[in-house]
Amino acid sequence: MANFNIDADKNLTYDAIVIGSGISGGWAAKELCEAGLKTLVLERGRIVEHVVDYPTMTLDPWEHELRGGLTPEQKAKHPKGGRSGFIGAMNEHFHANDLENPYTEVKPFMWVRAHQMGGRSLLWGKQTYRWSDLDFEANAKDGHGVDWPIRYKDIEPWYTHVEKFAGISGEALGLPQLPDSHFLPPMELNCVEKHVKARIEKEFNGRNMIIGRVAHLTEPLNGRGKCQFRNRCDRGCPYGAYFSSNAVTLPAANATGNLTIRPFSIVQSVVYDEQKGKASGVRIIDAETGEDIVYKAKIVFVNASTLSTTQILLNSTSNRFPNGLGNDSGELGHNLMDHTYRVGAMGTVEGFEDQYYKGRRPNGIYIPRYVNLKDGPQSDKFVRGFGFQGGGGRSGWGAGGNQEDFGGNFKDGLMKPGPWEFFITGFSECLPYHENQVYLNKDVLDKWGQPTLSIDAEWKANELALNDQARKDAKEMLERAGLKDIMEFDNKHEMGFGIHEMGTARMGRDPKTSVLNGNNQVHGCENVFVTDGACMTSSSCVNPSLTYMALSARAANHAVSELKKMNL
Amino acid sequence: MNRRDALKKSALALGAAAGAPTLLSLLQACAKTDRLTWTPVFLSEDQARFISSFVDFLLPKTETPGGLDVKADVFIDLMYAKTYDEAGQKQVVADIEKFNADCKEKYGNVFAELSEEDKTACFKGHEANSPKFPKTVWGGAVGPREPVGFYRGLKSTVLWAYFSSEEIGKNVLSYDPIPGDYLGCIPLSDVGNIWSL
Ligand SMILES: Cc1cc2nc3c(=O)[nH]c(=O)nc-3n(C[C@H](O)[C@H](O)[C@H](O)COP(=O)(O)OP(=O)(O)OC[C@H]3O[C@@H](n4cnc5c(N)ncnc54)[C@H](O)[C@@H]3O)c2cc1C
Ligand code: SF4
Repeated sequence: MANFNIDADKNLTYDAIVIGSGISGGWAAKELCEAGLKTLVLERGRIVEHVVDYPTMTLDPWEHELRGGLTPEQKAKHPKGGRSGFIGAMNEHFHANDLENPYTEVKPFMWVRAHQMGGRSLLWGKQTYRWSDLDFEANAKDGHGVDWPIRYKDIEPWYTHVEKFAGISGEALGLPQLPDSHFLPPMELNCVEKHVKARIEKEFNGRNMIIGRVAHLTEPLNGRGKCQFRNRCDRGCPYGAYFSSNAVTLPAANATGNLTIRPFSIVQSVVYDEQKGKASGVRIIDAETGEDIVYKAKIVFVNASTLSTTQILLNSTSNRFPNGLGNDSGELGHNLMDHTYRVGAMGTVEGFEDQYYKGRRPNGIYIPRYVNLKDGPQSDKFVRGFGFQGGGGRSGWGAGGNQEDFGGNFKDGLMKPGPWEFFITGFSECLPYHENQVYLNKDVLDKWGQPTLSIDAEWKANELALNDQARKDAKEMLERAGLKDIMEFDNKHEMGFGIHEMGTARMGRDPKTSVLNGNNQVHGCENVFVTDGACMTSSSCVNPSLTYMALSARAANHAVSELKKMNL
Repeated sequence: MNRRDALKKSALALGAAAGAPTLLSLLQACAKTDRLTWTPVFLSEDQARFISSFVDFLLPKTETPGGLDVKADVFIDLMYAKTYDEAGQKQVVADIEKFNADCKEKYGNVFAELSEEDKTACFKGHEANSPKFPKTVWGGAVGPREPVGFYRGLKSTVLWAYFSSEEIGKNVLSYDPIPGDYLGCIPLSDVGNIWSL
């Protein structure tokens, strides 16, 4: 096994420090280590070694005393994250403790965090889509937010770079609004999904329904096994078949001999050297001993995840940056975005009663954006657009709770698959609004006495209008695809549910209106890089993590070349 | 009138009167003709008898095992003990007492003691009057929501206890912990019962 070096040396100046070991930090660490930089990863949580530290990865329900049920003590640790509906006994140990890490909801906001080596790369849904110039040009075109300092052509090689190593399965379509990745073979659609796909594509010109593009191996790659279709990903994968920092980037970084990863290291701030005009290192609190330690490095990558990254920057004050590192513009903490979630429709499909499937596919279907493209339908009610995720399957015994029946026949009937059901839910783009923000709260301290965040953000008219259209369109698609018992839904939820929090330290062309430049360097403190979701200038409507990976790899390689040129 | 009925009648006549402990314990001793074969960790014996009879009536033994065969009742007791907080535990006890009180009022006895006919009538009544669970997408409820009440909640708990048991999950349903591949379209007859996982 990997056997990570966890002995960080206080007296050493590292070439690079990476804060956080999640999806983006793992990529930064790999690229920096492979370029020969002595790299220290500071991770606030514990070490989670691939396979070794996945205690529930193969447990069947009956092998767990409470069959997946949580104890009141476990539930009490997740009053906020628990709202997601994703926390159960098999993955509870990968979710952050809300009580030790409080935050204040000025307006309701669900913040799902994972505080261990690997971060949320152990929990994520692996949906991976490239963004396009539709996204990178959006702000410039409709005037919301500021212009991205990059275009698709700048990030395209880096998408390819990370995809080849991460392993993305999917089908190439050649759509301009959703560029193809470098793909492994796609997973299969089931009978009903194929049927609905054919109907939707026939009924609606310009709409496509495809199998989700996911960071799962459908063929072995670099010693990792292919997906076995167990759908137990959020417990950790024994085959290393889905992308996580633990299975993919951190072992690669470790293999170079250049990696040190220090667990239980809560980064409190980035240390700014007023004389040199750049960062000299990072101050941490040891989560176990409470010790206050400073580590030195030539460059710092801040990858603590969107809001935690911004929290660190806000907490990094100096004479030069009294309001937080890189906050000359006053935009640090602002322009928080997410995706809307859980608006859509579901129904049943008849005619496939003698068909079934084998395997628990950890993936669904995707309907790429079709509104407000260069060609095709335009809306006068909103700007930007939405895409849909969803899927089909046959109901199982769980449906029995609602059946008005009981007794022997009822029981034996539940052994057979029920009707085919199919659903889609829209993910809508969220505009960057200055007033959607986070700021430091010195009245509420965490377990280690550190100031916490207050989150003050909400959906506004454009997101609600997008949602409204997504719901109507979902219903119409299912109707015209011939589904029965259609129910449309809009479960009005707060921001954060998309678990795609973005913005709060945005990239931009102008230091007066942004925090980072086109290479993810902090304006005015160029040896600090931010490459997680904090850097995002707009939110697109597609899942963001692949873009964090590409931006991280791109910025790390830029940092290496700048270091070589002695520019940092 | 047999001895047991006589005792019950007099117990009822006495109501909650103090000084009845001997009578009550006598009564309980009689009621234990079909004594519990397991020791509840949370429920009282009477409450456990309710759960067992509910499980048995909802999922009786047929050619496949019944709820009691896979100890669904034992698991539910454990679940109340270990996954419910104090408020939830109090609520469950109150709900069981209420369910039985309603049975007594309508059919003259607690649920466990009712005839098949009365049990059927009782379940039908609850089916008709209990709201349904909302649909869910990715672990979250969508569409209209209403509390389903004790009956439907317990029904779904019993289903969970039954279908998550090793006997049903491994030997009755189609069990394939490591499928290896995803095949999107195969004849149902190749599989038979639903997949257990
Ligand atoms: C259930 C779920 C499903 C998801 N599905 C998808 C999906 O399908 N597609 C998609 O693109 N995205 C998805 N996401 C989102 C995805 O997980 C995140 O976008 C991604 O993990 C963010 O990467 P990151 O590196 O910014 O942060 P994370 O992966 O969250 O990692 C941050 C790391 O930083 C550490 N850290 C935090 N603060 C500090 C500090 N002060 N000092 C030191 N270390 C610190 C944390 O412990 C953690 O290890 C999903 C998320 C969840 C929870
Ligand atoms: S479904 Fe595939 S990727 Fe997920 S845990 Fe199972 S084998 Fe691993």
